[in-house]
Amino acid sequence: MWKWIQRQASPKVFYSTCTRLIPWFFWPFISFLIIGLYWSLVVSPADYQQGDGYRIIFIHVPSAILSMMVYAVMAIAGGIGLIWQIKMAEVVAKVSAPIGAGFTIIALATGAIWGKPMWGAWWVWDARLTSELVLLFLYLAYMSLNSAFDNPKTAAKASSILAIVGLINLPIIHYSVVWWNTLHQGYSVGTGGIKDPDMQIALALMFVASIFLYALYVSIKARTEVLVREQNSRWVQEEVRSLVS
Amino acid sequence: MTMVEFFSFLPYGKYAFYVWLAYGVSTLTIITLFVTAKRNHSKTLRFLQNKYSRS
Repeated sequence: MWKWIQRQASPKVFYSTCTRLIPWFFWPFISFLIIGLYWSLVVSPADYQQGDGYRIIFIHVPSAILSMMVYAVMAIAGGIGLIWQIKMAEVVAKVSAPIGAGFTIIALATGAIWGKPMWGAWWVWDARLTSELVLLFLYLAYMSLNSAFDNPKTAAKASSILAIVGLINLPIIHYSVVWWNTLHQGYSVGTGGIKDPDMQIALALMFVASIFLYALYVSIKARTEVLVREQNSRWVQEEVRSLVS
Repeated sequence: MTMVEFFSFLPYGKYAFYVWLAYGVSTLTIITLFVTAKRNHSKTLRFLQNKYSRS
Protein backbone atom coordinates (compact mmCIF):
# COMPACT_ATOMS: atom_id res chain seq x y z
CA MET A 1 0.00 0.00 0.00
CA TRP A 2 2.79 2.44 1.01
CA LYS A 3 4.67 1.59 -2.20
CA TRP A 4 1.51 2.22 -4.23
CA ILE A 5 1.13 5.66 -2.59
CA GLN A 6 4.80 6.47 -3.27
CA ARG A 7 4.37 5.52 -6.94
CA GLN A 8 1.57 8.13 -7.23
CA ALA A 9 4.21 10.87 -6.91
CA SER A 10 5.02 10.21 -10.57
CA PRO A 11 2.74 12.36 -12.81
CA LYS A 12 2.40 9.59 -15.40
CA VAL A 13 1.37 6.98 -12.78
CA PHE A 14 -0.95 9.46 -11.05
CA TYR A 15 -2.60 10.36 -14.37
CA SER A 16 -3.28 6.72 -15.26
CA THR A 17 -4.53 5.98 -11.71
CA CYS A 18 -7.02 8.86 -11.99
CA THR A 19 -8.17 7.61 -15.40
CA ARG A 20 -8.70 4.08 -14.04
CA LEU A 21 -10.49 5.32 -10.89
CA ILE A 22 -13.10 7.51 -12.62
CA PRO A 23 -15.66 4.69 -13.24
CA TRP A 24 -14.95 3.29 -9.74
CA PHE A 25 -16.05 6.64 -8.30
CA PHE A 26 -18.80 7.47 -10.81
CA TRP A 27 -20.99 4.36 -10.46
CA PRO A 28 -20.89 4.16 -6.62
CA PHE A 29 -21.73 7.90 -6.57
CA ILE A 30 -24.77 7.38 -8.83
CA SER A 31 -25.89 4.28 -6.84
CA PHE A 32 -25.56 5.92 -3.42
CA LEU A 33 -27.19 9.12 -4.73
CA ILE A 34 -30.27 7.31 -6.11
CA ILE A 35 -30.75 5.16 -2.98
CA GLY A 36 -29.93 8.15 -0.74
CA LEU A 37 -32.47 10.39 -2.48
CA TYR A 38 -35.12 7.66 -2.24
CA TRP A 39 -34.41 7.28 1.49
CA SER A 40 -34.34 11.06 2.02
CA LEU A 41 -37.46 11.99 0.09
CA VAL A 42 -39.66 8.88 0.33
CA VAL A 43 -38.67 6.48 3.15
CA SER A 44 -37.78 8.97 5.92
CA PRO A 45 -40.80 10.15 7.92
CA ALA A 46 -41.70 13.81 8.41
CA ASP A 47 -40.16 15.47 11.47
CA TYR A 48 -42.53 16.01 14.40
CA GLN A 49 -41.52 19.68 14.72
CA GLN A 50 -40.22 20.77 11.31
CA GLY A 51 -42.57 18.70 9.13
CA ASP A 52 -41.17 17.95 5.67
CA GLY A 53 -39.01 21.08 5.69
CA TYR A 54 -36.27 19.20 7.54
CA ARG A 55 -35.53 17.08 4.39
CA ILE A 56 -33.11 19.82 3.32
CA ILE A 57 -30.63 18.53 5.94
CA PHE A 58 -29.97 15.44 3.79
CA ILE A 59 -28.01 17.66 1.41
CA HIS A 60 -27.12 20.45 3.80
CA VAL A 61 -25.31 18.33 6.43
CA PRO A 62 -23.19 16.17 4.01
CA SER A 63 -22.16 19.23 1.97
CA ALA A 64 -21.28 21.17 5.15
CA ILE A 65 -19.12 18.26 6.41
CA LEU A 66 -17.51 17.89 2.96
CA SER A 67 -16.82 21.65 2.79
CA MET A 68 -14.61 21.25 5.89
CA MET A 69 -13.19 17.86 4.94
CA VAL A 70 -12.12 19.06 1.48
CA TYR A 71 -10.45 22.09 3.06
CA ALA A 72 -8.51 19.80 5.42
CA VAL A 73 -7.46 17.60 2.45
CA MET A 74 -6.45 20.72 0.50
CA ALA A 75 -4.33 22.08 3.37
CA ILE A 76 -2.71 18.70 4.12
CA ALA A 77 -1.94 18.10 0.42
CA GLY A 78 -0.59 21.65 0.20
CA GLY A 79 1.59 20.99 3.26
CA ILE A 80 2.91 17.74 1.74
CA GLY A 81 3.73 19.63 -1.48
CA LEU A 82 5.43 22.34 0.54
CA ILE A 83 7.55 20.02 2.73
CA TRP A 84 8.35 17.08 0.44
CA GLN A 85 8.03 18.95 -2.91
CA ILE A 86 5.62 16.35 -4.28
CA LYS A 87 4.04 17.90 -7.36
CA MET A 88 1.00 15.60 -7.34
CA ALA A 89 0.13 16.75 -3.81
CA GLU A 90 0.11 20.31 -5.19
CA VAL A 91 -2.23 19.13 -7.95
CA VAL A 92 -4.64 17.54 -5.44
CA ALA A 93 -4.62 20.73 -3.35
CA LYS A 94 -5.22 22.97 -6.37
CA VAL A 95 -8.09 20.94 -7.88
CA SER A 96 -9.76 20.49 -4.46
CA ALA A 97 -10.31 24.25 -4.02
CA PRO A 98 -13.17 24.79 -6.52
CA ILE A 99 -14.81 21.52 -5.42
CA GLY A 100 -14.66 22.58 -1.76
CA ALA A 101 -16.02 26.00 -2.71
CA GLY A 102 -18.90 24.21 -4.49
CA PHE A 103 -19.74 22.19 -1.36
CA THR A 104 -19.55 25.37 0.74
CA ILE A 105 -21.93 27.18 -1.64
CA ILE A 106 -24.37 24.25 -1.41
CA ALA A 107 -24.11 24.23 2.41
CA LEU A 108 -24.69 28.00 2.65
CA ALA A 109 -27.50 28.07 0.07
CA THR A 110 -29.41 25.09 1.48
CA GLY A 111 -28.90 26.45 5.00
CA ALA A 112 -30.39 29.80 3.96
CA ILE A 113 -33.32 28.06 2.23
CA TRP A 114 -33.95 25.96 5.37
CA GLY A 115 -33.60 29.06 7.60
CA LYS A 116 -36.41 31.00 5.94
CA PRO A 117 -39.33 28.71 6.96
CA MET A 118 -37.74 27.69 10.31
CA TRP A 119 -36.24 30.97 11.58
CA GLY A 120 -38.15 33.43 9.41
CA ALA A 121 -34.90 34.77 7.88
CA TRP A 122 -32.67 33.72 4.98
CA TRP A 123 -29.54 34.82 6.83
CA VAL A 124 -28.46 35.78 10.34
CA TRP A 125 -24.94 36.77 11.46
CA ASP A 126 -24.71 33.70 13.65
CA ALA A 127 -21.30 32.19 14.56
CA ARG A 128 -21.84 28.97 12.54
CA LEU A 129 -23.10 30.76 9.42
CA THR A 130 -20.44 33.46 9.56
CA SER A 131 -17.55 31.00 10.04
CA GLU A 132 -18.86 28.89 7.11
CA LEU A 133 -18.97 32.08 4.99
CA VAL A 134 -15.36 32.77 6.02
CA LEU A 135 -14.54 29.26 4.73
CA LEU A 136 -15.98 30.20 1.33
CA PHE A 137 -13.82 33.35 1.30
CA LEU A 138 -10.77 31.22 2.19
CA TYR A 139 -11.45 28.97 -0.81
CA LEU A 140 -11.87 32.02 -3.08
CA ALA A 141 -8.67 33.57 -1.71
CA TYR A 142 -6.80 30.28 -2.28
CA MET A 143 -7.99 30.10 -5.92
CA SER A 144 -7.17 33.77 -6.57
CA LEU A 145 -3.70 33.45 -5.06
CA ASN A 146 -3.03 30.21 -6.96
CA SER A 147 -3.89 31.82 -10.29
CA ALA A 148 -1.99 35.05 -9.53
CA PHE A 149 1.43 33.54 -10.30
CA ASP A 150 2.76 32.33 -13.66
CA ASN A 151 5.12 29.87 -12.01
CA PRO A 152 3.08 26.90 -10.66
CA LYS A 153 5.71 26.21 -7.98
CA THR A 154 5.50 29.73 -6.52
CA ALA A 155 1.69 29.63 -6.81
CA ALA A 156 1.52 26.31 -4.93
CA LYS A 157 3.88 27.58 -2.23
CA ALA A 158 1.96 30.81 -1.55
CA SER A 159 -1.49 29.23 -1.68
CA SER A 160 -0.47 26.26 0.48
CA ILE A 161 0.69 28.61 3.25
CA LEU A 162 -2.68 30.38 3.05
CA ALA A 163 -4.53 27.02 3.20
CA ILE A 164 -2.53 25.91 6.26
CA VAL A 165 -3.14 29.20 8.08
CA GLY A 166 -6.84 28.94 7.21
CA LEU A 167 -7.06 25.55 8.96
CA ILE A 168 -7.72 27.50 12.17
CA ASN A 169 -11.24 28.16 10.84
CA LEU A 170 -12.22 24.45 10.88
CA PRO A 171 -12.43 24.00 14.68
CA ILE A 172 -14.15 27.40 14.87
CA ILE A 173 -16.87 26.15 12.47
CA HIS A 174 -17.19 22.80 14.25
CA TYR A 175 -17.35 24.14 17.83
CA SER A 176 -19.18 27.40 17.05
CA VAL A 177 -22.49 25.88 18.23
CA VAL A 178 -20.82 24.96 21.56
CA TRP A 179 -18.67 28.04 22.17
CA TRP A 180 -21.37 30.60 21.36
CA ASN A 181 -25.15 30.85 21.83
CA THR A 182 -26.11 30.37 18.21
CA LEU A 183 -29.45 30.34 16.43
CA HIS A 184 -28.07 27.42 14.42
CA GLN A 185 -29.03 24.10 15.99
CA GLY A 186 -26.45 21.82 17.64
CA TYR A 187 -24.86 18.77 16.02
CA SER A 188 -27.12 16.86 13.59
CA VAL A 189 -24.88 13.78 13.84
CA GLY A 190 -23.91 12.02 17.09
CA THR A 191 -25.08 12.87 20.61
CA GLY A 192 -28.15 15.10 20.50
CA GLY A 193 -28.48 14.62 16.75
CA ILE A 194 -31.21 12.93 14.74
CA LYS A 195 -32.58 9.74 16.31
CA ASP A 196 -34.82 8.12 13.69
CA PRO A 197 -33.00 5.16 12.03
CA ASP A 198 -34.40 5.98 8.56
CA MET A 199 -33.20 9.57 8.85
CA GLN A 200 -29.76 8.34 9.96
CA ILE A 201 -29.57 5.89 7.02
CA ALA A 202 -30.59 8.63 4.55
CA LEU A 203 -27.94 10.97 5.97
CA ALA A 204 -25.26 8.25 5.84
CA LEU A 205 -26.13 7.35 2.22
CA MET A 206 -25.99 10.99 1.10
CA PHE A 207 -22.71 11.47 2.95
CA VAL A 208 -21.09 8.47 1.21
CA ALA A 209 -22.45 9.74 -2.15
CA SER A 210 -20.82 13.13 -1.45
CA ILE A 211 -17.45 11.51 -0.73
CA PHE A 212 -17.58 9.59 -4.02
CA LEU A 213 -18.58 12.82 -5.79
CA TYR A 214 -15.53 14.60 -4.36
CA ALA A 215 -13.23 11.73 -5.38
CA LEU A 216 -14.77 11.75 -8.87
CA TYR A 217 -14.24 15.50 -9.33
CA VAL A 218 -10.65 15.25 -8.09
CA SER A 219 -9.91 12.44 -10.57
CA ILE A 220 -11.39 14.38 -13.51
CA LYS A 221 -9.79 17.72 -12.64
CA ALA A 222 -6.41 16.27 -11.64
CA ARG A 223 -6.03 14.65 -15.10
CA THR A 224 -6.43 18.06 -16.76
CA GLU A 225 -4.01 19.71 -14.33
CA VAL A 226 -1.37 17.00 -14.87
CA LEU A 227 -1.64 17.38 -18.67
CA VAL A 228 -1.10 21.15 -18.40
CA ARG A 229 1.85 20.87 -15.99
CA GLU A 230 3.57 18.05 -17.87
CA GLN A 231 2.80 19.27 -21.40
CA ASN A 232 6.47 19.19 -22.39
CA SER A 233 6.87 15.53 -21.42
CA ARG A 234 7.00 12.89 -24.11
CA TRP A 235 4.35 10.72 -22.40
CA VAL A 236 1.83 13.60 -22.47
CA GLN A 237 2.44 14.10 -26.20
CA GLU A 238 1.84 10.39 -26.79
CA GLU A 239 -1.23 10.41 -24.54
CA VAL A 240 -2.78 13.41 -26.32
CA ARG A 241 -2.09 11.89 -29.76
CA SER A 242 -3.63 8.57 -28.70
CA LEU A 243 -6.71 10.28 -27.25
CA VAL A 244 -7.30 12.47 -30.28
CA SER A 245 -6.70 9.84 -32.96
CA MET B 1 -50.19 34.52 -4.24
CA THR B 2 -46.72 33.87 -2.82
CA MET B 3 -44.16 31.42 -4.28
CA VAL B 4 -44.73 29.15 -1.27
CA GLU B 5 -48.47 28.95 -2.00
CA PHE B 6 -47.90 28.55 -5.75
CA PHE B 7 -45.64 25.50 -5.32
CA SER B 8 -47.70 23.90 -2.55
CA PHE B 9 -49.26 21.43 -5.06
CA LEU B 10 -45.88 19.60 -5.12
CA PRO B 11 -45.00 16.90 -2.56
CA TYR B 12 -44.28 18.33 0.95
CA GLY B 13 -47.05 20.96 0.66
CA LYS B 14 -46.19 24.22 2.42
CA TYR B 15 -42.49 23.26 2.49
CA ALA B 16 -42.39 22.17 -1.19
CA PHE B 17 -40.94 25.47 -2.44
CA TYR B 18 -38.05 25.38 0.06
CA VAL B 19 -37.28 21.65 -0.23
CA TRP B 20 -37.28 21.58 -4.06
CA LEU B 21 -35.42 24.90 -4.26
CA ALA B 22 -32.66 23.46 -2.02
CA TYR B 23 -32.40 20.24 -4.06
CA GLY B 24 -32.53 22.25 -7.30
CA VAL B 25 -29.73 24.64 -6.28
CA SER B 26 -27.56 21.67 -5.20
CA THR B 27 -28.19 19.80 -8.47
CA LEU B 28 -27.34 22.92 -10.47
CA THR B 29 -24.06 23.43 -8.55
CA ILE B 30 -23.04 19.76 -8.97
CA ILE B 31 -23.84 19.78 -12.71
CA THR B 32 -22.01 23.11 -13.23
CA LEU B 33 -18.87 21.71 -11.53
CA PHE B 34 -19.05 18.53 -13.61
CA VAL B 35 -19.63 20.31 -16.96
CA THR B 36 -16.86 22.84 -16.23
CA ALA B 37 -14.39 20.05 -15.37
CA LYS B 38 -15.25 18.08 -18.53
CA ARG B 39 -15.12 21.20 -20.75
CA ASN B 40 -11.73 22.23 -19.32
CA HIS B 41 -10.36 18.75 -20.03
CA SER B 42 -11.56 18.83 -23.66
CA LYS B 43 -10.22 22.38 -24.10
CA THR B 44 -6.83 21.35 -22.72
CA LEU B 45 -6.67 18.35 -25.04
CA ARG B 46 -7.50 20.56 -28.07
CA PHE B 47 -4.90 23.15 -27.01
CA LEU B 48 -2.19 20.51 -26.59
CA GLN B 49 -3.11 18.82 -29.87
CA ASN B 50 -2.71 22.15 -31.71
CA LYS B 51 0.57 22.83 -29.91
CA TYR B 52 2.05 19.43 -30.83
CA SER B 53 0.84 19.61 -34.44
CA ARG B 54 2.65 22.97 -34.88
CA SER B 55 5.93 21.67 -33.50
